[in-house]
Amino acid sequence: MPAIETEALTKRYGRHRGIEGVSFAVQPGEVFGFLGPNGAGKTTTIRTLLDLIHPTAGAARIFGLDSRRESVAIRARLGNLPGDFGFGRDTAGRQALHLLARLRGTEGIGRAEELATRFRADLDRPLGQLSRGNRQKVGLILATFHRPELLILDEPTSGLDPLMQEEFLALVAEERDCGCAVFLSSHELDEVQRVCDRVGIVRGGRLIAVERIADLLGKARRRFTVELADPAGAERLRSLPGVADFAVVDGRVSFSAAGDLDAVVRELAGHHVVDLEATHPSLEEVFLGYYDEGEGA
Amino acid sequence: MSRQIGALVATHLYDRRRALWAWGIPLGLMSAFIVAIFPSVEASLSKAIQGYPQGLKEAFGIGELSNVEQYLHAEMLSLIVPLALGYLAVRAVASGLTGAAESGRLDVLLSAPVSRSRLVAAGFLATAVELAAVLLLTGALTGLGSILAGSGLAAGPAAAGFANVWPLALLFAGLGVIAAGFSLRTSVVTGSVAGVLVGMYVLDLVGRLDSGLDAVRYLSVFRYYGNAIEDGIEPLAFAGVTLVACLLAAIGAWLFERRDLAA
Repeated sequence: MPAIETEALTKRYGRHRGIEGVSFAVQPGEVFGFLGPNGAGKTTTIRTLLDLIHPTAGAARIFGLDSRRESVAIRARLGNLPGDFGFGRDTAGRQALHLLARLRGTEGIGRAEELATRFRADLDRPLGQLSRGNRQKVGLILATFHRPELLILDEPTSGLDPLMQEEFLALVAEERDCGCAVFLSSHELDEVQRVCDRVGIVRGGRLIAVERIADLLGKARRRFTVELADPAGAERLRSLPGVADFAVVDGRVSFSAAGDLDAVVRELAGHHVVDLEATHPSLEEVFLGYYDEGEGA
Repeated sequence: MSRQIGALVATHLYDRRRALWAWGIPLGLMSAFIVAIFPSVEASLSKAIQGYPQGLKEAFGIGELSNVEQYLHAEMLSLIVPLALGYLAVRAVASGLTGAAESGRLDVLLSAPVSRSRLVAAGFLATAVELAAVLLLTGALTGLGSILAGSGLAAGPAAAGFANVWPLALLFAGLGVIAAGFSLRTSVVTGSVAGVLVGMYVLDLVGRLDSGLDAVRYLSVFRYYGNAIEDGIEPLAFAGVTLVACLLAAIGAWLFERRDLAA
């Protein structure tokens, strides 16, 4: 049974767009990245999953339970870090933890001390006296101290220094290895590429792609730069299927290619190849490619 | 369930611990001052009151000011304490709902297995306790003032006078919950309910000034407030207003359960 399953989830704010027909599933033991710029619909999706806002149409099921009618039972099994974490200026992290532990009916604050040591978080100072990054650490501990089956994280590393980002990514990987499903909304494409198994790209409130990271990168156009002993003979590459952006500069041939590369390799085999460089695009390039396509459409 | 509500009420009261002192001490000191000066102003007061127009005396509930209890009612319990506590009530209940939404706390609390209606119930209950504590502190300081000045304030009637403010103030907490069902902005909730509070007071005043407009007093909770320091607590009015306050909070919880908690 999927940890999260949405069916044409839609939220409209009067005439304003929220999200439209968002459908995806996240399996236990999977880290699912949710990518998109500000205003694309990431937070609206998360708030709908958490029953903080109610869908206009469609449905979401978490652990097989209806996100609206069985919200309380769902929330007993998940941890959530909101995008703009806050808990009041005068409250210390430890007080917040004890309150959440009582609301969750757990004995004590679980592994919170261990996590505080790991993230070097100060649980005894009022949150209003902490920097954004240090508040975020407390938020992460509040979201994870009870070992949830599903973690929903909205921009979790914003404000964290690089060392703590590394520690956070390690924690996410450990949670996944324990069977926890992780739904991670992020702007940080590098962290998504490193920790996520699959990624959903949201644009204009619509989910435009859901792919495994490896497939997404594999499907993307690869960039080739070839140095041939006789560049003049390379013109035939231009007409091969899937080849684009063909150019010859200073005797070096560059082009991009997608799909089956057999024809490209066969053509190059007929030449004296002095040097060859093939590069995969970064997730950022793939991501921007989706947005460029959208704007062009 | 009781564990969750207990935890939420305790947290709410801890967060608002300063309100007890910030509201209870000034009101208490003011009331203590009123009862303390009574012996020295008693003679001149009676003379001054005789010169007041009858309508004005009726409108502000000023009867004979021949004892300290009547003076305490006229100066504090007929206007200042009910209005102050009514405003405190809406601020207190809003802090647990709209204030929590603005600080981000609501999102974190609602990540735990707690229903919105339980959050509302806890906020309303905590407000009821906070109001009682502020009234208790105000009453205690008033009694202390009377003892120190030898004003002879009778404890029973004074306690009834302060206790009678509680359901009235709680009603505005109930209205605050309803307002939070429509808006998550604290300024909107406190502003609108404070407007209703003043509006109800004015309606009651108008009704008392003009007997032809007496019917409009039924729209105001002040119609049922009375003068407990002299007449004792009217059990039906006390219970009725408390019940209406709870009913308003329940309607507010229903609205709050159904609304979007947008970021």
